Amino acid sequence: MTQISENRTPDAEPVEMLLNMGPQHPSTHGVFRMVLWVDGEKVVDVEPHIGYLHRGSEKLCEGEQYHQVITLFDRLDYLANFNNEQVYCRAVEKLMGLEVSERSEYIRVILCELNRIASHMLFLATMGLDAGAMTPSMICFRGRERIQALFESVSGARMMHNYFRIGGLKEDVPDDFVPQVRDLLKLIKEDTDESDRLLSFNEIFLARLKNIAAISAEDAIDFGLTGPCLRASGVDYDVRKAAPYSVYDRFDFDIPVGLDGDCWDRYYLRVQEIYQSVRIVEQALDQLPDGEVASSLGRRLIRPPAGEVYVRAENPRGEIGVYLISDGSDRPYRIKVRPPSFCNLSALKLMMKDCWIADAVVILGALDIVLGEVDR
Amino acid sequence: MPATILLTVGLADFIWIVVGLFIMFTVLSVVVLSLTLLERKLLARLQLRLGPTRTGPMGVMQPIADAFKLILKEDIIPASSEKAIFWVAPIIVVVSAFMIWVTIPGTQNAVIQNLDLGLFYIIAFSVIGILGLVLAGWGSANKYGTLGGLRAAAQLISYEIPIIMVAISVGMLAQSLDMREIVNAQGSYIFFLVQPLGLVLFFIAGLAEVGRTPFDIYFAESEIVGGPFVEYSGAHWSVFFLAEYINTFAIAALTVILFFGGWSGPGLSGDWGIIWFLPKVYLVIMVIFWIRGTFPRLRIDQLMAFAWKVMVPMSFLSVVMTAVYLFYGWPAWSLTLMSSAGLFVVGYLIYKRMTGPTKLVSQTRIRQQALQDQRRAASQAPAEAGGD
Amino acid sequence: MFNCLKGMLVTLVSTMHGLRQPVTRQYPDSGNLLGHHPEPTPVKDRFMGFPALTWDEDVQEPFCTSCMVCIRQCPTQCMSSVMKDNPLHEEGKSSRRKIVDSFEINLNRCILCGICVEVCNFDAIVMTHEHEMSDFSRNAIRVDLPILLENGLKFQKETGWIPPTQRAKVQKGGDAAAETTAAGTET
Repeated sequence: MTQISENRTPDAEPVEMLLNMGPQHPSTHGVFRMVLWVDGEKVVDVEPHIGYLHRGSEKLCEGEQYHQVITLFDRLDYLANFNNEQVYCRAVEKLMGLEVSERSEYIRVILCELNRIASHMLFLATMGLDAGAMTPSMICFRGRERIQALFESVSGARMMHNYFRIGGLKEDVPDDFVPQVRDLLKLIKEDTDESDRLLSFNEIFLARLKNIAAISAEDAIDFGLTGPCLRASGVDYDVRKAAPYSVYDRFDFDIPVGLDGDCWDRYYLRVQEIYQSVRIVEQALDQLPDGEVASSLGRRLIRPPAGEVYVRAENPRGEIGVYLISDGSDRPYRIKVRPPSFCNLSALKLMMKDCWIADAVVILGALDIVLGEVDR
Repeated sequence: MPATILLTVGLADFIWIVVGLFIMFTVLSVVVLSLTLLERKLLARLQLRLGPTRTGPMGVMQPIADAFKLILKEDIIPASSEKAIFWVAPIIVVVSAFMIWVTIPGTQNAVIQNLDLGLFYIIAFSVIGILGLVLAGWGSANKYGTLGGLRAAAQLISYEIPIIMVAISVGMLAQSLDMREIVNAQGSYIFFLVQPLGLVLFFIAGLAEVGRTPFDIYFAESEIVGGPFVEYSGAHWSVFFLAEYINTFAIAALTVILFFGGWSGPGLSGDWGIIWFLPKVYLVIMVIFWIRGTFPRLRIDQLMAFAWKVMVPMSFLSVVMTAVYLFYGWPAWSLTLMSSAGLFVVGYLIYKRMTGPTKLVSQTRIRQQALQDQRRAASQAPAEAGGD
Repeated sequence: MFNCLKGMLVTLVSTMHGLRQPVTRQYPDSGNLLGHHPEPTPVKDRFMGFPALTWDEDVQEPFCTSCMVCIRQCPTQCMSSVMKDNPLHEEGKSSRRKIVDSFEINLNRCILCGICVEVCNFDAIVMTHEHEMSDFSRNAIRVDLPILLENGLKFQKETGWIPPTQRAKVQKGGDAAAETTAAGTET
């Protein structure tokens, strides 16, 4: 940090104070650490420190058999477990050239979109908390809790599901799954509406978020932002539309885009995405076919052919990519994950230029990072 | 009864003062306990939660359990702190909070020492608490604490001015700074009816003064993690919060006394007026908690801009309007009109300050919608299916 | 400013709603505003709690033959077991030649993924509904065979557990069950 003292005369007293925010700070969303150089209340410079949650997941994957790796992918982005499981399963399926039954694809899409809603709801909750509003968090947690109760009845676990299998699912969904989800969607809409009415257009909230950390579309692309952070800047890019995977090309849904690329756009885009996900789930429920879901592989050990594959998917936080190299054994030779939160974090320094300390919290909140994925 | 010179007062007076202070301390402690429970329960209700339920029936013993826990907790003093200042700061805060209550009357007689310049005394003493916060922030040798202390100084001193000005205009209306006189002057009509602007300014500035949402900037949990209180624990920390709740109660009581006629109300006279007084105060407090459960927090620059660009000019305007009204001896409704007009100006100013982003938002939504339609029209054309 | 007031209305409405029906519950009770009821919050049927071993009521012995499949497939290597000759088999009462002698699961390491249940060929291990086993010492929830069997028996009694292979027989007929056994784990 040498460039912070441009305007300072050589023998003047230093005016910047080094403020260490995190890893134990209530609004760094886990164990993220920011070192802020502040001049009074203004942030002059920021340096992110990551790695407090580093578990070596990618290395651990090399020691696990293919179906065991799913449990590790659950723990990357621990707010969007189904999405992570799906992208890994798709990688192995692509490597092996497996066909997945229609029904399991549909169930995967339903669960992934519900998980996206759950993740975005948690985002709305924490965004409110970062800005100082307490009640939206409770409302959103209520909605998320309902989704997780559904997940529990489907997969047996509320967060680390381990439900998707290479080539299918662990087991079929419960009998009352479809009516249950239909009821749930109504409640999700209600919860989102309520939190939306309470927070989104509140003048104080707008004053806190609008025009904060606005970045242009060019900058967003240059920094490799994906997901809501990119779309907030007005770039119409969503892997579900740009390179449709699974059965996403069969649904009619919009990709909401923001225009100014500021924190409020990032916030409101996620609110809109919840409604779009609800639309997708509704259509998927209508189209849900019958059939087998369990993988034809059964419980057999998997030995994919040697080769490498790259698969990408749209996670709640952006584009996740899995690069998988197989040497023909029962364990992956190498797995590299492109975590969306980690790439989004790279724009932090640009966003926090000349902001206030209070803004720093909001900007980090609007990036919506998950440290399990950043540190891996 | 000039209580300050103990030599000149008789023994009976002295004993009354000691007993009165003791009663005040006890009553305020009970009030604070009730406020903590009320806040937790009410916030829980606002957020579809239950609040405390385990300690006693419906959790009513929770504040006592909290108090015990806080007193029994280890009182940690950071090694690098300024020990003396660290120790003294909470005491300054809590003493100033208690001192205010010496002259706030509950009813005509339920007051320890009524002063002719009661309102002046209250405002003068409430400023001392700020010193304690600044000292606490600085003495704990913590950067968050220092930031919080400086924020507290900036915020509380800025919002002191509107409070003083509104208090002056109320004093002008009542022709006295004696709290009892102010309440008695509201016999025919309560001052809220003639000074709605004053009430709004006083209430907003009062929220800022006690650091309640949306002005809880000097101890913002999600930014500077408690600000001046960040290094405090155990009894010291509880003393800070004792002071905060007493101040909240004081602001609510002052709002009621200055604008809602204090203990005066239909049907009850004399000391029975407390039955009118307490519900009014608790109602105001519940509004404070309600606001806490709804609003996000402002940023420090927005807060200061709001203070100096809206609150201070409007509070001066309120004094001027009261003066004009009194000088020309106009009927009361004329002041109501003027004050309401002022209120509209405040509303307009807030609206204009806040409407910038709102307008941006609506523009953004229109443009978004246009883009959305455009893209949907484009996607009607056969889309190319792409694989991974 | 209007949206601020709207927000206050929203919280007021949700307060009224909250007075009728709070959404939180008092752990472990499932109570509401008007007192609590002692029964714990129910878990879903498929809930995956800590693993436990099942008890064969017909022959009065564990299902587990200590074949080590689950142990090899466990992503966190949290189990270990020892095999022995089955005395009941020698007496002709049981069809199991080998039986589990000792079995330990370190529940601190267990990540509740359910892979062990999936790979087991003998219906010997289940994910129970047990999820409240906290203790003050680190090694207190390294559970051994008696506790595992006790937990498993509790689960079997609570849920009326049928071994999955027989369940498949009941539902789909014999061939499905045969298929499942045929697709046994290749180790």
